[in-house]
Amino acid sequence: MSPLSLVGVSHKNGALEAREKLAVVSAQRVFDELRREGVREAVILSTCNRFEVYLFDEKERARGWAVELLERVSGGAVREQAYLMEGDAAVAHLFSVASGLESLVVGETEILGQVKTAYEQAKAAGMTGKRSNVMFQRALFTGKKVRNDTAIAVGPTSVATVAVQLAESIFGSLAKSEVLILGAGAMAELTARHMLSKKVAKLTISNRTWERGRALAESLRAASLPWEQFESGLESADIVIASTGSDRPVVRRQAVAAAMTRRAGRSLFLIDIAMPRDVEETVHGLDHVYLYRLQDLEAIVARNLSARGGEIAAARALAGAKARELGAWLKSLAAGQELSLKHSDAANG
Amino acid sequence: MMMQMMLIKSALALYAAATGMALTYLFSKDDKWSLWMLRLLGIGVLCHLGSFGARQYLFWQIPENRWFFSINSFFGALSFLALAVAAAFFVIEREHRLGILGAFVLPCAALGTGAAVIFADPATRGLPPALQSYWMNIHPMVLMAAYAMFGNAFGVGLALLIQEHQIKSRKPSELCYRLPSIEELDNLNYKIIVAAFPILTAGIIMGGVWAYEAWGRFWGWDAKETWSLVTALLYAGYLHMRLVRGLRGRKAVYVSMLAFASVIFTFFGVNYLSDLHGYLSARG
Repeated sequence: MSPLSLVGVSHKNGALEAREKLAVVSAQRVFDELRREGVREAVILSTCNRFEVYLFDEKERARGWAVELLERVSGGAVREQAYLMEGDAAVAHLFSVASGLESLVVGETEILGQVKTAYEQAKAAGMTGKRSNVMFQRALFTGKKVRNDTAIAVGPTSVATVAVQLAESIFGSLAKSEVLILGAGAMAELTARHMLSKKVAKLTISNRTWERGRALAESLRAASLPWEQFESGLESADIVIASTGSDRPVVRRQAVAAAMTRRAGRSLFLIDIAMPRDVEETVHGLDHVYLYRLQDLEAIVARNLSARGGEIAAARALAGAKARELGAWLKSLAAGQELSLKHSDAANG
Repeated sequence: MMMQMMLIKSALALYAAATGMALTYLFSKDDKWSLWMLRLLGIGVLCHLGSFGARQYLFWQIPENRWFFSINSFFGALSFLALAVAAAFFVIEREHRLGILGAFVLPCAALGTGAAVIFADPATRGLPPALQSYWMNIHPMVLMAAYAMFGNAFGVGLALLIQEHQIKSRKPSELCYRLPSIEELDNLNYKIIVAAFPILTAGIIMGGVWAYEAWGRFWGWDAKETWSLVTALLYAGYLHMRLVRGLRGRKAVYVSMLAFASVIFTFFGVNYLSDLHGYLSARG
């Protein structure tokens, strides 16, 4: 029996209720429980999509004792959805998780940071040893390598990130860009927050109902512009996000053309995420004006996702190969004849 | 002679390989291609310098050529120009970290070197008395430095047109995220041209001074003179439109490309028209 085992629940098995219960369990609580059972080496990976315990343990135990442990700390039933893996299968799973192959959005990079945090947490709690150190460092290294060597993480996969990336393809850094948001609804707010996270130079909100627009502007520490004046705002804004509930276009070709004559050739990026449309289509025909509609952004997201899909096989092969290396190393260690891993690689984790 | 040709052929092979790396880098996000592009380019420039040195040695075997640079012939001029394009790219790329632009600029260096190797006669001959002047070492060098910079601006402009088209199409490919932004390319295109323009102007004026010393007139509407004036006016037009009229982006690039076409014509086409500057008529 391999000393390495894994017990967990994830989005793949549904298990929403079990995940919710486990999500609020602190790693410390699990570590305490494991110590009581005599386990000295364990790492707990807890994200909104998965809760996994990787542990090294020499004792003979009844199959499923770890599941019971999970039930004990969460106070809920996880038996039905939990998966148990041992040895090579557990290593392969960890490397696949770190590579983003088990994520909802394949190739996403957030999981890599979460694996790192999980490992560091265990290390700080004194719950790691040689095997878990090397295993997690190799997993992190593999996660990076897979994203570098394959196109699995290429291209943004949400409408908001696609919009930001396009803006960067037009203006470069957005640090000098001014953003004008038309509307104060949920979509407008979401996009505004995303733009703020990019540290734009100025964010202005213009809404047909002044009070609502100003309230949103205040909560985001943005400027607000009376609706009657938004057309003059087109002169200084670089990025305009239109998201009003108007049933007819509010941004007219004439107004944009007039603004462009005063922009000295600077580009203007218009993002129309309203339904029905807020910006007249003919605006796109003007020089230096780029109008993207919600459907355009969604089409780019879909293309990026399907391109990632084509890379999954290559990514799996790479993650699998690295997992087998580590599996062989673990066995060699147990047999007292340690194989050498490329340490320069492991140190990158 | 053998040394010269061997080295310039090596340079050609290296430029071609660097171009290949640059094109690969365009479609693969692995930085190693960019690194190899720079390495190959660097060695290529060194080989090219070596070839130029070997040519210089042969050139100076003829007593009246002593201490003049060997760029009076078509081969010498073209080889020097390609070398300058490659070297200017090396400097600009390292400054701006825009290895991706290699795909647009390096083909110019490779084609220029290739044209010299294939079409031009590398033989060295004695300089006619009119060219035995210290201006020989200044006037063509200065102009070709300007041409090399314009060649780099042309590559930048080409990248801008592709990027603009990508974004306007609403179906940007991965290339869109690899290329610098429209604004950056527009600024770089402008920065190179605004730096090269005074060099071009100075080169033309020097030519006038030399012409006055050698032929007794400042300006004679020789085809080379006329076309260099057209080139200067087109670039002046670009700068005027960009600075005064606020014309930027795609249309500004069209104007700068028209000006670069004039550079190419001044360099190549005029050989067949000019009595005084014809590398091929062998009188100049």
